[in-house]
Amino acid sequence: MYALVDAVSFYASAEKVFDPSIRNKPVVVLTNNDGCICAVCPIARRLGIPKFKPYFQIKSFLERHNVVVRSSNYELYANLSERMMNVISRYCDDQYVYSIDESFLEFKHYDNLIDDWHKYGHEIRRAIWKETRLPVGVGFGTTPTLAKAANHAAKKLSGFNGVAVINDNIAALPILKRMSVTDVWGIGNRLGKKLNLLGIDTAAQLAQQSARNMKRQFSVVVERTVNELNGIACLSWDEVKAPKQEIFSTCSFGQRITDYNLLMFALVTHGSIVGKKLRHQHSLVKRLLIFASSSPHDSLHGNQYYKKSIVYEFPLATDSSSKIASAISIVLKEIFQHGIYFYRCGVGAISLESQRYQQPDLFAPSQPSPLIMNCFDKINQRYGQGTMTLASEGKDEKWQMRRNFLSPQYTSSWRDIPKINC
Amino acid sequence: MKVIPIFAEAGISGFESPAAEYKELGLSLDQLLIRHPNATFIGQANGDSMEGVGIFNGDLLIVDRSLTAKNGDIIVANYNGCFVCKLIDKTQALLLSASSKHPPVHIKPEDEFQLEGIVTRSIRLHQKSPEITLCTH
Repeated sequence: MYALVDAVSFYASAEKVFDPSIRNKPVVVLTNNDGCICAVCPIARRLGIPKFKPYFQIKSFLERHNVVVRSSNYELYANLSERMMNVISRYCDDQYVYSIDESFLEFKHYDNLIDDWHKYGHEIRRAIWKETRLPVGVGFGTTPTLAKAANHAAKKLSGFNGVAVINDNIAALPILKRMSVTDVWGIGNRLGKKLNLLGIDTAAQLAQQSARNMKRQFSVVVERTVNELNGIACLSWDEVKAPKQEIFSTCSFGQRITDYNLLMFALVTHGSIVGKKLRHQHSLVKRLLIFASSSPHDSLHGNQYYKKSIVYEFPLATDSSSKIASAISIVLKEIFQHGIYFYRCGVGAISLESQRYQQPDLFAPSQPSPLIMNCFDKINQRYGQGTMTLASEGKDEKWQMRRNFLSPQYTSSWRDIPKINC
Repeated sequence: MKVIPIFAEAGISGFESPAAEYKELGLSLDQLLIRHPNATFIGQANGDSMEGVGIFNGDLLIVDRSLTAKNGDIIVANYNGCFVCKLIDKTQALLLSASSKHPPVHIKPEDEFQLEGIVTRSIRLHQKSPEITLCTH
């Protein structure tokens, strides 16, 4: 048996944990730069607020309905996610953390230990609510895809109170019948449209297809999905998450940038973020993509769309932010042009190497000591992001992440711990 | 002739500490004060109504959500959208203060009320700490 436990609109629920004044209010959370709505709490959902809507388009609606708006407070979410995952881990010896708020469990040899999965699911829910104040849904299924479907039912379909169990095909059918095919794990919108053309609208209809046909028409992924919906487990998770193959940091500017130094500051800031992520997963970058562009919608300035990206190859792969910064300063001369209103820029590590299997070069100039970056990261971890930066990141915060509605750092800053009235 | 200088080194090794074998990890306040780390949060007391049980304005409160409150426990609750720290009387649905200046509060059905956790420890900062600003009420 498999289970998927995930939080109900995690970011919005996390905002309510340490702020009791908004527990019963509609809450939405905005993405990076306060651009779009990325989480809608159940109360706000009843007002009909859609996810992924640009904030400025819906701002007046939110104000009219006294909706509480929050910027993404990643420091808080990371802490609550860890707590939630730790509580879940008590309930199964094989846990796979799939995302910040989703965790799979695989129950091998539990058949004689647990006779009522419903009851067990409610136990998990109650424990997480009591200990972390996060609401979760729990879905059990005989395959990971069915566990995901059960989880969908537990949270979205009426008649399930946060827990659903699919322990055989008979239990699966009523749930799959009520699920649209795009709600099936791994079936995206584009694929869903193609399936619709074949008359496959619900998950149950997909389950009835011949797996072999699906493989021929679409891919081995769809074949697996069909098998999984019929109770044949095909998916498994790697013991350890593979390190990312590419790391990007990009953003668009609130105000257009025309100044060479400002563009440099922005790119180096992105370079630093990439460097930090590289070090975190013990990778080195060999080839770095650096780009900047104007906005394709900027007819305002009467300018043509301009985009330039350059790939810089390091002689020796590196994870040092200062090396990345010097690479940026080298290529920026070719990217920057006077009179262009820069709208977007970013840095991406596109070819990575493992830190462990590095072939050193006898004739290469000496590399900066990894201890420097190690110390740099530790200082920022301890005293907060941005305590120590490269001088070339600048101090102007024009391009930095906009978080105008940020809640306090309840769990990571002493200044912000919750106040309790006595 | 090329001379490669090698400096002579005297092997000064000193004496091994007779206590080396007995070395253990240092004491951790976290370990002592926090029994259930996943279910525990730290808050700061704001007000004087709990001075009778030794909780003063600005004290740190260790709040454990995993425990079940018994009558007379010092609890933190969500009372009408605010975190409050009181003594709980479950049988009479009362929130009691530990101060004669503050009368008991009766929890009415129309009140928003949720038990948040139990105050298992409180910590007083006898000297100012640069990290924490004192509550002003």
